[in-house]
Amino acid sequence: MSTNYIVENLKKEIDNFSSQIKAEKIGHVLEVFDGIAKISGLSDIKSSEMVTFPNGEMGVALNLEEDTVGVIILDDFSKIREGDEVKATGKILEVPVSDNIIGRVVNALGVEIDGKGVIKADKTYPIEKVAPGVITRLSVSEPVSTGIKVIDSIIPIGRGQRELIIGDRQTGKTAIAIDTILNQKGQDMICVYVSIGQKDSKLRKIQTRLEKGGAMAYTIIVSAGSSEPAPLSYIAPYTGVSIAEYFMDQGKDVLIIYDDLSKHAVAYREISLLLRRPPGREAFPGDVFYLHSRLLERACRRNKEYGGGSITALPIVETQAGDVTAYIPTNVISITDGQIFLETDLFYKGIRPAINVGLSVSRVGSNAQIKAMKKVAGTLKLDLAQYRELEAFSQFGSDLDNATKQQLERGKRAVEVLKQPQYSPVAVERQVAVLYALTKGYMDDIPVDKIKEFEEGFVNYAENHTKKFYKEILETKMWTDAGEAELKKAIEEFKNDFQNFQGQSLGKFS
Amino acid sequence: MATLSNNDIARAIYLVSKDKTHTELHDINNKVVKFLARRRLLSKTEDILERLDKIINHESGKIVVKVLSARKLKEELKKELIFFLKKRYKAKEVILTETIDEKLLGGIGIEINDEIIDLTVKNKIKKLQEYLIRKI
Repeated sequence: MSTNYIVENLKKEIDNFSSQIKAEKIGHVLEVFDGIAKISGLSDIKSSEMVTFPNGEMGVALNLEEDTVGVIILDDFSKIREGDEVKATGKILEVPVSDNIIGRVVNALGVEIDGKGVIKADKTYPIEKVAPGVITRLSVSEPVSTGIKVIDSIIPIGRGQRELIIGDRQTGKTAIAIDTILNQKGQDMICVYVSIGQKDSKLRKIQTRLEKGGAMAYTIIVSAGSSEPAPLSYIAPYTGVSIAEYFMDQGKDVLIIYDDLSKHAVAYREISLLLRRPPGREAFPGDVFYLHSRLLERACRRNKEYGGGSITALPIVETQAGDVTAYIPTNVISITDGQIFLETDLFYKGIRPAINVGLSVSRVGSNAQIKAMKKVAGTLKLDLAQYRELEAFSQFGSDLDNATKQQLERGKRAVEVLKQPQYSPVAVERQVAVLYALTKGYMDDIPVDKIKEFEEGFVNYAENHTKKFYKEILETKMWTDAGEAELKKAIEEFKNDFQNFQGQSLGKFS
Repeated sequence: MATLSNNDIARAIYLVSKDKTHTELHDINNKVVKFLARRRLLSKTEDILERLDKIINHESGKIVVKVLSARKLKEELKKELIFFLKKRYKAKEVILTETIDEKLLGGIGIEINDEIIDLTVKNKIKKLQEYLIRKI
């Protein structure tokens, strides 16, 4: 490369450069502590406007007082000194968005952190946006299939719904979220996983798992780690939903997971207390409800005239010792369209996913369920509820009448069928086939400890013997009489074989 | 009781002493000092006076402008500058305070309260640097 070439190139670059003359508002740092700065001057600044510090650190003005401004610093604040000049940018905080972001791990400001190079972005989206209005919306009617039998059948989730996943630590909340992402392969869904205050090792594990399952091809991870300052944890979910909105604006369906909002609330509490806002219940500030409601309200399903697309939100909240009446859980429960409640007791009993079917609800999801699933799952919830009720009675060991006994037996089998190991989503047509066999009583005379074996064998067997039934479900969402007959025949045939060869290897049945 | 900010006090002092004769002012000043002493605010006087200064300037249409330059400004330029500033800020009077800093290399920078108009060569070079090393 000759010197001339470099000079020419530089000249060209400089030609493109133009500097505008404008009056800028400045202020001076009065004090800096714990990711917060108090700044004098900066008159006419807007709420949540971006400011820049001398070394390029960014901040957001949150507290506007008579002659000072409280700013949260979104970078390392150790280099900021008292008296530093702060410039107002006149812009609300924005994140870069583009299609290139898919498959990447970014921080709360949309900057890559996975070491795969700069993400080219041609657009920016503001992180705070008013949720879409009533006119633009459409009610929930399309399902999100999670691949988890108990969720898809009893607590179905629809596109545009907000379903809370709540439970104690170590009950499998993240597992449900990750399984759901894994199951979106080929379902035309973009997934955004927002990790708030999680350990970096856990995030790495999740990323590796998603990569292994081929899910990173449609997933974006937004991370605000626990080593980063609280302001980043505070804005991470808004960044996530802005990225989701970018894809929704292209008419795509997006699934966003906030893992988890209790840590988000804690980060916001920290910021608020440092900004000297008055504390309320559990020392959370007064606007902690609005913090989450404005975030979750941005999940929606838009109608065709407004471009279509949807954002389904799965917020996660961690409870302490199963206490759902704490401040944040009650808030988020009331905002969302239902909750999936996970329990430690069930988890240790071996019922995994440890979903408490009695306490879990989905307020709008049933409209989204496909007809075939509705048909087979309709009585399932009732069966399980009755089973739980009767289970207490049966403990006394007294003589039970036949109807009760039968209900108990059915319940035991239902619990068994709904167990499902991690990372093994089941396609919806297979779920329907299995649940059909269960609710129509075909499994009643199979011993409870053989149910899992039966189910596995049957799914394999059905692969080749109920093609028509599967095809109908996939195409029309419901079976015809012919399809049903085929399924019935397959179940009966398989059951015969199973009972004859019981105890032997399952390989023979497929 | 609502808390009194230094700005409130400064504004109150301005309002009571506005359009008063010399003897009246003497009386008022006494009262103000007594008030500050009673409320244990004497340590804040410096800040209050600064604010009072700003309020008086604002009310009388006076602006204090800090001009930064690498070399001493020519009289012509100063006049032009004052004319421009009077128009832009609708001020009756402009007080220029000059600061000479050779590190600015050239051009001028203007500071009015918390607003700056940076026309220095140093700033331009910095902008150019940012532009050339920007991420594409």
